[in-house]
Amino acid sequence: MSSPAEANNSSIASFRTKLLVAMMFVVSGMIALGLYLAQRNVVASAHRDLQQRFQAELSSLHKIQELRHAALAERCGELVSKPRIHAALEDNALDLLYPSAKDELRDLMQGEEPSQEQAASSLHARFYRFLDGTGAILPPPNPKDIGELNTETETQLALKKLPEKEQIGYFPENANAADEIVDEVMAVPIFSTETGDVISALVVGFKPFEVVSDRADAELKSGIWVNGRLHLPSLPKRAQLVLGNEIAHAVTKSDRARNNFTVAVDGAPQLLFYERLNPDSLFPPAYQIYVYSLADSMAQLQRLRWQIGGVGVLLLLAGFVASEFVAARLSVPVEKLAVDSEENRAQRKRAEDALALTSEELKRSFQYSADASHQLKSPVTVLRAGLETLLAREGFKPAVYHELSALLHQTHRLTGVIDDLLLLSRMDAGHLQIKLEAVNLSLLIDEWLDDLGALPDSVDVKIEKKFPAELYVAGEKRYTSLIVQNLLENARKYNRPGGRIRVAARKETDEVVLTIGNSGRPIARAAEERIFERFQHDFSGTGVSGHGLGLNLARELARLHGGDLRLVRSDTDWTEFEARFRIAQTTLDRASQVA
Amino acid sequence: MRWCLGGSLILVVVFNSVSAFGQAMVEGRVELPKSHSAPVMAKRYEIVTSGGVLATKPPLAVVYLAGSFPKPTTRPTKQIAQKDLAFLPPLLPVEVGTRVEFPNLDDTYHSIFSYSPGKRFDLGRYRPDERPIPSEVFDTPGLVTLRCDIHEHMRGLVLVLNTPYFVLTDAEGRFRLSALPSGHYTLKAWIDSKTTRERPVELKSGATLHVDLP
Repeated sequence: MSSPAEANNSSIASFRTKLLVAMMFVVSGMIALGLYLAQRNVVASAHRDLQQRFQAELSSLHKIQELRHAALAERCGELVSKPRIHAALEDNALDLLYPSAKDELRDLMQGEEPSQEQAASSLHARFYRFLDGTGAILPPPNPKDIGELNTETETQLALKKLPEKEQIGYFPENANAADEIVDEVMAVPIFSTETGDVISALVVGFKPFEVVSDRADAELKSGIWVNGRLHLPSLPKRAQLVLGNEIAHAVTKSDRARNNFTVAVDGAPQLLFYERLNPDSLFPPAYQIYVYSLADSMAQLQRLRWQIGGVGVLLLLAGFVASEFVAARLSVPVEKLAVDSEENRAQRKRAEDALALTSEELKRSFQYSADASHQLKSPVTVLRAGLETLLAREGFKPAVYHELSALLHQTHRLTGVIDDLLLLSRMDAGHLQIKLEAVNLSLLIDEWLDDLGALPDSVDVKIEKKFPAELYVAGEKRYTSLIVQNLLENARKYNRPGGRIRVAARKETDEVVLTIGNSGRPIARAAEERIFERFQHDFSGTGVSGHGLGLNLARELARLHGGDLRLVRSDTDWTEFEARFRIAQTTLDRASQVA
Repeated sequence: MRWCLGGSLILVVVFNSVSAFGQAMVEGRVELPKSHSAPVMAKRYEIVTSGGVLATKPPLAVVYLAGSFPKPTTRPTKQIAQKDLAFLPPLLPVEVGTRVEFPNLDDTYHSIFSYSPGKRFDLGRYRPDERPIPSEVFDTPGLVTLRCDIHEHMRGLVLVLNTPYFVLTDAEGRFRLSALPSGHYTLKAWIDSKTTRERPVELKSGATLHVDLP
């Protein structure tokens, strides 16, 4: 018994482990999913916040730029409406153009360059040029007065055609030198007062307005990207070159006026925003660039990730403990079940062993009974044959005949007892198979009552019958007949002279109840319990013959048929038995067919 | 400016002399461009530009006799006033060498200048009571555009002619030139800065020639 118990213990342990593993799997899966979603949410919202901040900054900057451009345009428009400039252009006096402009635009160029803070509101120009009717630069006679430019920059200011409205452009000067600057250029058309056509344009260069401070350690850096190059002085030259290429790539890929993407500068992640500075301009496209260092927010995010991870570990531990607890709680009934089942198994085994033994004994006893019956039957038959032969012979005294006849009767009884014993032993061994059919109980009773009347030793009893003509019960005819015979014989046998027998039968839902009562001495109260046991008889003390198997056999058969047999009453001069049979289903069918 | 050397006869011409013997006369009508504005009762003319062409509005023409004439020794001084932020008259034909004064009749500053190739000058800012009245001598034939540096819309025209014989038509284009020398000349009509019509004429002493310039 020890090895199955160990196996049991190990299987219980493995059940608990499996349960624990499954629960841990579910718990950790849920925690992982939850943490992943939380982390993603945090990252997304951080990104969104950053974007919104940028959008806000961009749009405020946009407004400032717009105001500034409007102011510049108004100023330039005012300048180009000067009569002398118009006169020079319209009255074919181009030689007077720059000298006149020098006077007229004096305040544009005059004075010191304004400080960084004043740059936004200042309209201080760095240079100006006029364009001729084809958009080419009208060469100034004395560039010193109107802002000197190198030839490369000057040629870039030319347009393919004269613009109908103000154009904004951005041009880097001294592109490769250390003191690289970007000029914000506004081209203002000059309309002829005579024809209304655009006859020229004034191109004025300003220092672009910088919102963000250009300290090298500033979180936000701004610059201008034009002609494939990035001008962002606070970044090292090499980084500017790399970023410039990245922006060029982004700008050619998508024609959106503003966008953002993440780039790496010297390994540090940066969020880069760009926005077109001069949409729809005849000048080359220029973009305002903002580079925002993500190092801080990345560090913050990293911290947050660590925190989330820590929370996750704690949750996991808590989940582990909870799982362990729950698994233990859950496996208790299972363990109990396992122990119980072990006990059950042992009990069952014992019962089975006992049953096998009993069955063996029963079989043996049945065999013994069967053998005994057969062994008995042969000599009884021989005996009966001998007696019959003797009875047939003539020449004996009448007393001898009487004696012979009595002996022959005894052999008949003996055969009956042997038959009953055989039947009982078969029943005990469970070998009796009953073939159920519809048996007409009424007919059966009538037949046996006729036989009773024909018996030689029939006493003078009055028979009362009270049952319908057709009463079908479910049973095998010979065994049902045996029950009825047994009860009727008893009723006659234990009757008193001049007594009566009452046979009644009735239907009761799905049963047929047969009651057979007889007058005569009652069964002793103490014996009432034992009358259905084998080899018990003569309870009334009448000395009537019987072998004590009949009632036992009848009850066993009745029960085998799904019915029962019991003593209803036995008191002064009246003993009544009741037999119950299952009603035959076919009775109804038959009745309905008859109907 | 083109002009013909009409004949070899040189005449002494006296201005404003009343039908002296031996003097010819030309009269007629210049077909003026259709004016879309209603007839101007106030007779206020202005210089307008349309498609790069300067002309008076309502249209007027200057009819003059082109030829080679002796230079007079003295010429009367002419005036173009600035009144109500406009030049008055807006179109002034003068003979070469004439001095033109620009009196300021407004109560504001004016700053008359010209970048025209024929006459570049700049009078600078001056007040109404500026004395002497700022003036310029126009000694190159051609059309001179007058502008004011302060009032950019102001335009005036001075047509400098190489002849003493010229006259402004009336609003219908009618004109009359009298006291002309006889001989072969070209009669010209300046209509706007881009349009000058001309017709050769033979003037006979004492005769009145009728010429229409359609």
